Amino acid sequence: MEAVGMLLNGFTDALTPINLMMAVIGVLVGTLVGMLPGLGPTSAIAILLPLTSVLGPVEGIIMLAGIYYGAMYGGSTTAILLNIPGEVSSVPTCLDGYPLAKQGRGGPALGIAAISSFVAGVLGVIGLVFFAPILANQALKFGPPEYFALMILALTVIVNLAGNSIIKGLIMGLFGYMISMVGIGPSGGQPRFDFGIDALSAGFDMISIIIGLFAITEVLKGMEEKQTAISVGKIGSVYPSRSDLRKSSKAMFRGGIIGFILGILPGCSTAVTTFLSYDIEKKMSKTPEKFGKGAIEGVAAPEAANNATSSAGFIPLFALGIPSSPPLAILLAGLMIYGLQPGPVLFEQNGSFVWTVIASMFIGNVMLLVLNLPLVGLWAKLTQIPYGVIAPIILILSFIGAYTVRNNSFDVFVALVFGVLGYFLHKYRWPVVPLILCFILGPLLEQSFVQSLSMSKGEFSIFVERPISLTILVISLVLFVISIILIRRTKTRVKEVVGTDLDISE
Amino acid sequence: MKKKALFGLLSGVLSVSIVLSGCSSTNSASGKQNKDPGYPTKQIEVIVPFAAGGGTDLTARAMSEYLSEEWGKSVVVVNKPGAGGATGTQEVLKQGSKDGYSVLVQSVSAVSALYAGNTNLPFSVEDQQFLAKMTGEPLAYVVSADAPFKNINELNEWVKKNPDKFTFASNGPTAIGTFGTIQWMDSIGADFSKARLVATNGSGDALPKVAGGHITLAVQGVSEVSNLTKAGKLKILGIAAPERSPFFPDVPTMEEQGVKDIDVSLWYGASAPAGTPDYVVKKWETTINKMVKDPKFLEKLDSINVRPDYMNADDFTKSVEEETKDYTEIAKEKGLVK
Repeated sequence: MEAVGMLLNGFTDALTPINLMMAVIGVLVGTLVGMLPGLGPTSAIAILLPLTSVLGPVEGIIMLAGIYYGAMYGGSTTAILLNIPGEVSSVPTCLDGYPLAKQGRGGPALGIAAISSFVAGVLGVIGLVFFAPILANQALKFGPPEYFALMILALTVIVNLAGNSIIKGLIMGLFGYMISMVGIGPSGGQPRFDFGIDALSAGFDMISIIIGLFAITEVLKGMEEKQTAISVGKIGSVYPSRSDLRKSSKAMFRGGIIGFILGILPGCSTAVTTFLSYDIEKKMSKTPEKFGKGAIEGVAAPEAANNATSSAGFIPLFALGIPSSPPLAILLAGLMIYGLQPGPVLFEQNGSFVWTVIASMFIGNVMLLVLNLPLVGLWAKLTQIPYGVIAPIILILSFIGAYTVRNNSFDVFVALVFGVLGYFLHKYRWPVVPLILCFILGPLLEQSFVQSLSMSKGEFSIFVERPISLTILVISLVLFVISIILIRRTKTRVKEVVGTDLDISE
Repeated sequence: MKKKALFGLLSGVLSVSIVLSGCSSTNSASGKQNKDPGYPTKQIEVIVPFAAGGGTDLTARAMSEYLSEEWGKSVVVVNKPGAGGATGTQEVLKQGSKDGYSVLVQSVSAVSALYAGNTNLPFSVEDQQFLAKMTGEPLAYVVSADAPFKNINELNEWVKKNPDKFTFASNGPTAIGTFGTIQWMDSIGADFSKARLVATNGSGDALPKVAGGHITLAVQGVSEVSNLTKAGKLKILGIAAPERSPFFPDVPTMEEQGVKDIDVSLWYGASAPAGTPDYVVKKWETTINKMVKDPKFLEKLDSINVRPDYMNADDFTKSVEEETKDYTEIAKEKGLVK
């Protein structure tokens, strides 16, 4: 197995002090933001994105990835103890986690959540080791038409990221695509949409827009919402009993496998898989009546699905360049900033980078288990930090971050404008993730389109004549339909459980 | 109350950022004076108009490390990419200080090739005081490792027989790869007007597409093609240089294979805004000349597969002028500029 050898090499690189430190920082920040209300992995990665201009690619991505999967662990804590799902994907965890906490069994529930997350996280990464190279081996078969088809496939993700209205999602996507066109065109070299303004001739900086939409908007939202400090009751021992473990071990694996398999599909979000695995667990249980009243399997299954899906999300990200969730979209931006264009070629050209990051994910998951089991009480206390303290820190970091990328105060202005814009978009329920996705992928889409047509002398048939390109286009169509069905289903379930329409893209 | 606090915070942060930006552009209005105050007396800012990690950036960083040590003042590299190098170039030439503390490190792509390809740039070669050429590397002509051509002559024959099947990757209509392709086709008597340019976004985009056989040819710097060539995915058919490359001693030069008159190559050099005093130019010339002989610096260049190629300010200026003239003519003749 070539992949295993590469992975072992990855471990030697991932275990160097600096990389180890980056993984620790990443998972710590991730756990923290997963827990803090009003700050999620997406904003955290956005705020720390400018560090990419200081850190090398390996260190930077190890840290950013750590934030992403670390936050998946953190999210379960508030869901179980406070009945506050940090993200929609944590809603199923609340269903049985909070009743358990009320019965004084919050500790074991947290323990099971951490163990399930760990098992699924490791399962997911193992899957990543085997699946990603299969896709990546096809690397050089991908020419411009195949990339174009891949971008079309990526755009079907909008359906999943759009939240409540697909039409709104498409409009926002188009808007993002238009913003991406500002500046020098990717193929001809002619300036576009700069209105004669020098600052615009270089186009918008990806980081300042991301910081604006995800960090500054978050602060503005937080200032509006009333944040009250919530006290946490007694947690008890976090080490689950043997019967708890026996009851949940099957749920863990089932959740993990469902989460992983669906997670490979480009664009399948954790919200979809956590609900699905919870429902399946309930159907398979001999005591379905216990669900919702504190069944430990009801915590294990969705938590496992959550982590398996988020690990599996790295497969379409690394191998195809398709982000399945908002934090992964920002991570994609991080890769692009480093000039590491994700896609089949990434494994070919930057193999050691990819394998080091994957190895760091094994290490990170072990660290998370260690961090989460004994320290969970401490973490729970952190949820009480008042927002008035967090908000100014985020804001200052955002401005510094936006400035340092190109040492340009125009970018700070852009971040501010997009921050305010993001606030209003959120308020009127226009999803911003399609915007950012199209902003990131727009130039690639255009370029591969133009490249394909230069290859074919302007014949559009090039997209359907080539087998790989045609296959991807057909898959896009199928996926588009499946996504719509799954999203509909998840939406109804969310409504049943929460009682209102939630923005399931977050 | 909350709203007030928010606005107070925003205006505070904004004013900080305005002060910051004010500090970064120290515009002392010194014209052409010839009294040396012991330059450099403070930090020098070096702008690279391309992204970090590229060929220009690597040379600039190796240079700044040497100069910081040599002069005892920090020399800081700042990347300002965008618009094919025009963004960062404009910033130094139009907004930079003319006292030697605002310096530009560019590659040929941001100078001669850029001037040749664009008639409406906000700056011109008259705004530029060249300091010294530092490093350079020849262009390599690469095809997929699976391509049916064993040497450049087989490709020559194929192109002449199949002019309408030939595609080449280049970073734009007037990027260095285009000029490399034109000179080669002219030399072998093939018809460039039938060749199809596939515009790519840097070598990271172009080379895998050539390696996969989607595009016939790429003409890129030796340092850029070395990874995929060593991985056995690309084949170098020839290198356009008078001598074989020390990094690929087995690859014949284009001239050895009978393809003559290719003089396009990649170079990296330093410049400043016009009006920068002579003592600054002298100081850069002498120090860079010393630098390209320094063993530690050379070792660094080896690791990035680039060779030293020193030229003083006058020679550098002349060579850029000639090069720009040549490229402009080629661009006009082949209809690259619309």
